[in-house]
Amino acid sequence: MKFWDTITGNDLTRDCEAFEVRAGALPAEYRAAWEEVKCHLFPYGSFTGRNLVPILDGALGLLEETAADGLGVHEVLGDDVEGFCAALAGGEGARTHRDRWREKLNGNVARKLARLGG
Amino acid sequence: MDDLTEMLKGTLEGCVLQIIGDEETYGYAITRRLNELGFADVVEGTVYAILLRLERNGLVRVAKRPSGKGPPRKFYALNEAGREELATFWAKWEYVTSRIDRLREGGR
Repeated sequence: MKFWDTITGNDLTRDCEAFEVRAGALPAEYRAAWEEVKCHLFPYGSFTGRNLVPILDGALGLLEETAADGLGVHEVLGDDVEGFCAALAGGEGARTHRDRWREKLNGNVARKLARLGG
Repeated sequence: MDDLTEMLKGTLEGCVLQIIGDEETYGYAITRRLNELGFADVVEGTVYAILLRLERNGLVRVAKRPSGKGPPRKFYALNEAGREELATFWAKWEYVTSRIDRLREGGR
């Protein structure tokens, strides 16, 4: 990755724009599913969200392939889009923003308690 | 049969390995095969997530082939590590089912 991209996030903007162009070519119900997938994947992002790019790319690829096959989006994702996204992001054990925040908070509280001699 | 999700969770990966082991195939065909077997709840997204995991764990060979319409399809075949994993899966399956059968029959 270029240094310039690292600090500006330009590559991310570019990738996201490319994804949206691809998503725009999908049928309406697939576009709705894409929005939902993005929502559910967001919590699995790292600080910059770069780790999500290949995952989003794969998910979009799946939508494109199956839309071309003429499948209904329900046949592809079923009822549990959240579960699907968790599986994509590396399973139930995948660390989310919330886990990291929690850890940090716990660490801070423990440190302050220690300082108080608790 | 409904509501098999919880029970299937650990075994679906083995099923997919077996299907790929029989012949090189792609996601949609795997889903259809599982549906035909009677696992109606299995959708393509589930299979996709499993395939991704198999790929990440280095158990499959992946080849992109053009399809009639739309983007190229990914075809999957087992590699050596995949075949070993499949054998392990069946050994575990054998172990679990034999114990559970024994439990049902009331033996010790």
